[in-house]
Formats: sequence, C-alpha cells, structure tokens
Amino acid sequence: MMYGYWGKILRVNLSTGEIKTEEFGEDFVKKWLGTRGFGIHYLLKEMDPKADPLSKENKMIFSTGALTGTTAPTGGRYMVITKSPLTGYIAIANSGGFFGAELKMAGWDAIIVEGKSDKPVYLRIEDDKVELKDASHVWGKRVGETEKILTEEFGDKHVQIASIGPAGENLVRFAAVMNNGHRAAGRGGVGAVMGSKKLKAIVVRGHKRVEVIDRSKFISVVREKTEILKNDAVAGKGLPSFGTAVLVNIINQNGLYPTMNFRYGQFKYAEEQSGEAMAKKYLKRNKPCYACPIGCGRVNDTETVGETEGPEYESLWALGANLGINDLASIIEANHLCDDYGLDTISTGGTLATAMELYDRGLLTQEDLGDAPPFRWGNTEVIHYYISKLAKREGFGEVLAEGGYRLAEKYGCVDCFMGVKKQELPAYDPRGAEGHGLGYATDNRGGDHIKAYLISPEILGYPYKMDPHDISDDKVKMLILFQDLTAVIDAAGLCVFTTFGLGADDYRDLLNAAFGFNMSTEEWLKIGEKIWNAERLFNLKAGLNPLEEDTLPKRLTDEPMPEGPNKGHVVRLKEMLPRYYALRGWNEDGTIPGEKLKELGLEEYI
Amino acid sequence: MAIVKFFATLRDITGKREIEIKNVKNVGELLHRLYEIFGDEFKNEVEGRNMILVNGRNILDMDGYKTEINDEDIVSVFPPAGGG
Repeated sequence: MMYGYWGKILRVNLSTGEIKTEEFGEDFVKKWLGTRGFGIHYLLKEMDPKADPLSKENKMIFSTGALTGTTAPTGGRYMVITKSPLTGYIAIANSGGFFGAELKMAGWDAIIVEGKSDKPVYLRIEDDKVELKDASHVWGKRVGETEKILTEEFGDKHVQIASIGPAGENLVRFAAVMNNGHRAAGRGGVGAVMGSKKLKAIVVRGHKRVEVIDRSKFISVVREKTEILKNDAVAGKGLPSFGTAVLVNIINQNGLYPTMNFRYGQFKYAEEQSGEAMAKKYLKRNKPCYACPIGCGRVNDTETVGETEGPEYESLWALGANLGINDLASIIEANHLCDDYGLDTISTGGTLATAMELYDRGLLTQEDLGDAPPFRWGNTEVIHYYISKLAKREGFGEVLAEGGYRLAEKYGCVDCFMGVKKQELPAYDPRGAEGHGLGYATDNRGGDHIKAYLISPEILGYPYKMDPHDISDDKVKMLILFQDLTAVIDAAGLCVFTTFGLGADDYRDLLNAAFGFNMSTEEWLKIGEKIWNAERLFNLKAGLNPLEEDTLPKRLTDEPMPEGPNKGHVVRLKEMLPRYYALRGWNEDGTIPGEKLKELGLEEYI
Repeated sequence: MAIVKFFATLRDITGKREIEIKNVKNVGELLHRLYEIFGDEFKNEVEGRNMILVNGRNILDMDGYKTEINDEDIVSVFPPAGGG
C-alpha cells in the first residue's frame, strides 16, 4: 500500500477516447516527488520537445503533489505541465483553491491528457468512474458560467472544476486554466493547450481519504508547522490582513515597482492601489484555499462587478501601474474579466503595456486600431475593451492574443517587449534586485518570479537580508537554492507562501512524516535540483539557445534606472550568468554536461 | 525635519499615514521617539522584525539602527510583510 499517493495515474487519449489507468510505486515518488517532477518525467519520456505546442503531439499533465489532499498546511495545490505555446519551452503552472485536493480524494494522483478531440468535451470524474462527455453546450461560455452549468449538471455542489474560458478556446497564447472561479494555473498559456485539445473542463468529485503512514505522528508534525505559520508575522498576520497587495507600497517605496512598461521604478499613485487602500475600500473578507492557515485570498466588492476575488499583487500591478493606470475599481474589474475569460493577468498586462509603448513611440498608430481606444498610458478604457477583444481574438485583439513579444516583433521593436523567453515579466524591476534579475533570465518557464523569489532575501529580508545590489557568489548560490527548494515545495503540493514561516527542514519533516521516509533535507533538495535540470533539459531539446535566451530586455541591462532609490543601477547579468552556469555544474555555454545528468540520474532522458 | 511614513498595520496603530519628526540623529533614536509617542502596541509590532527604509534604501544595507537621519529624509516604516 502507498501513502500520500494512490499510485494511480489516469491516461486520457482525446483522439481515441480511450481512458486507461497506470500505476506507479514508491521509487517514482522518491525520484520525482510530484507535480512538476511527475510532469517533466512524462514529457521527456513521451513527447518530442520540438513538437508544436498546439498540436496533438503535445501532452498535458495535471498533477497533484505529495501532500495534496492531506492536512499539511496549504496542501491543496496542483500543477499543469505541458509545452508552452507562449515560450516554446516548458510550462509549469501552479494553482490553489480546491481542485487539486479533490482530484487526489477521487483516487487519482495525476491525469495525462494526450491527443486532440474533434468536438468539445469535458472529463467527468467521480471517484473510480471516469468518462468523457460532450461539452458543446458550454463551449464559448466564460469560466464563471461554465462552472455553474457543470456543477448543476453534476448535481453536487462540492464538485471541483478546472476549466478554460473563451481565451483558452481561442488559443490565446497566454490563456490560463482556471478553478474555483478565480484561481489560475496562470502562466505559459496552458489554457491554450487545453483549448487546442478541445477539452473544456475537468470535473471531479472524490470521497476518499488520503492516507499517511502514521496518522498521529503526521498530525503532530502538521500541528507544529501550522503553529509556526500562524505565529509568523507575515504568514499569520501581514498576508491575512492585506493580502499580497501589501507589497504595492513596499516595492514602490523600495523603488522597483515597474511603472509604464518598466520605464520607471516608482508610481506616484501607488498608494491609491495599495493593499491598505483595497482593504479600506473594497475588502469584504478573506478566502483561503484548501487547508490554508494563511488566507491571503481577497473577496472584494465594487459597484461595477459586485463580489469578486482578487486582484493579487501581480495582477494589480500588471493591470495598473505597468499601464500607468491608478483607478483601483477599474483594476479590480479588469482582473475579474481576465479570470472570467481565462487569461493570465501578468501576460495580459504585459502585452497591453507593450502596445502602449509601441503607440507612444508612434510605431503602432490609430490607423492600425481603427475605432478602438488609443493605447495611451493611464487610459482605463484600454484594459476593459481590449481584454475582451483579445480573449475573443476580435479586431486588434487578434494581434494582442499572440502576446507581447510577437506584438513587438510585428511593429519592429523587440526591445519594447519586457519579458524573457517571450513571456512577460512580473511586478519587480530587477534593476532594484539584481539577483531576482538573474532569476528572470534563467527561469525554465521564462519571465517569472515564483520559481525563485529572490525578492524575499533582497527586499523583504527572508530568510535573511541580502543587499539587492550584491552580485557575489553568495547571491548566485541563494538563487540556486531558491530554485531547487521551490521545486520541492511545488512537487510537495504546498504553497510557496509557507516559506515566510517555514524552512527547508520543515518541508523535510512533513514529507518524511507522510511517507515514512527517512530522507535528509539535502536528499529532498537533490530532487529539486533534478527537477530543475530535467526542465532545462527539455528546453535545450526544444531548441533553447542559452547564451541568446538566458537574458533580460536591454532596458534592464543597458539603461540605468532613471530615478528613485535605485537610480543609476542596471542588472549586471553578464557578470552573474557565467558564475550561475558554473555553480550549477553546467557548461560555459549553458548546456548540461553528461556527468551532471548522470549524477542526477537523468541519463535515461537524454 | 524628517518625514516618517507608516504602512500596513502601523496605520491603524498610529492613526496616521505620516508624521514629521525633528532632532533625531539616527534610526535607533527615531524608533525610541516613536515608542514614546505611540506606546507598546507600536513597539510590539516593529521591535522584533520590521522593514525600515531611509529614502527608499533598507537600513540593513546601510548602518542598521545607526543609519543617520538628516533633514528632509523620508523614513518608511513597515511591519514584517511579504507576498508575491
């Protein structure tokens, strides 16, 4: 008997309609742990990394983590792993809410989706009973309505649904997979892959209890770690009080709040869109995910949209300061629209910011837009109008749906695009946190903050404060540790926000208690390193040219920050990158040597 | 005269977004003054962990509580916070 997992994977072929069960044992858990680990194993084993991401050759893995569905604090997460239509490399999107735990409770650890259906379908799972059903009646519907209809159809309000909105159906390159209305496996266009397969939703209801090897021991470890989080000033107080948006004032005061497509590092209206302002004006209550003692999720109420969830810090910035927009109610509405159409908010905002920069420079003109609103900085009309247009690929939305990089390329200004590996950057200007900049440049899924959040040591001071402009080996090593540890936390099915209170040894304790393993922190971290390298291997096989693509937009490496506390600074990426490769044990050209792959047990994937 | 800005929970405790403070040499002295003005609740919130910036630069990257405060400096005081 297995613990933590059932050892059962569901394989669904949408081309043939065949549904199979496959099994795995404890060795597989010790090798890959879960989510990203399971996902990269199957992608490397079963698909050509050069395959077109929107073709039937691409595979999609929905996977729970080792502690998903247990009572471990925040143990409710799942990930979607596939080849990204935005970057052309690995997509590893993580979501909270309740879907992941429900999938595990239905007796399934992961689902492999392959092939392509001719007509819209959804996958219905009720414990062991699994079937593909017609989804024509919900095709074209937004996320909220889709969830409502499919829940009614199932006849059980506890059912959990992961679905796509019109953006995914229309193959918008940054469409998300959504669950619980507002929770997103957001980045990399995983929703477009689901849309290309004509899979509208996965509907799941489970009635099983996830077992651990020694329940009373596990409960006592869970209690200990939950207490740490509850008593932690950030996880137990700051995040519940103000949500992630507490960062608006922090990042702005520190001078790295990207403003108007990263032209500036401070936004003069930041206060008006801060977590403090949101709590005062619109907050109704907190909404935690499954088994979460933190509860950073916000339920807001505005006149235009009524009760809605979010925005989180990143979305608030992407649809606000990055576009020069200061009106909080408009941002909340834009965030709601992104969720309902099934769009990644960061890439949506980044794409609109690219358009504003092109318009400002006269490269994109009103003639190109016709009667549609001008892309002027601060124009709130832009966010609401173009979000629905791009989700439906109507008018100029057809161009925007391709993402910021392709937009910038079309209008002859690739440097106007602020992203890495064709994915739009999140809400920190790395000219004010250079280690975080190295993280952007080397992230396996392109422009991204959450796979190695160096903002923690560089700005927030966790686990200890590091100077944001220190680029010594200590900083590079910290980035590598964060990349590897985050892979472990993801694969465990936990939320990265637990890191504000927990350290690497705490995750070891939880995992060992669930499985009855006696693995050291170093051994768990080695799995993280293996996952990171395996994802890199996939990217290299897909055609990644490290020396050209492990990079940052010129604005961040060549144009000094014009004002504020980081005035005069750039990211000294060229000084850090060779040391990063060396400390990773990689070749000078950023490829992985055979002996490193062997050391990590990855020979069979070469 | 320096301007001291408060954020997050500190706004509820102090009832203010910012105040002006005269005649403090460094951040340590400033904190003592703030403890006198706003009492134990304020002290408990920031004494153990905090984030203090002088003109947008973290005092931990400068001289800690000995970081000097000059006229017209802006000091931002946060309780422990995070997100992402």
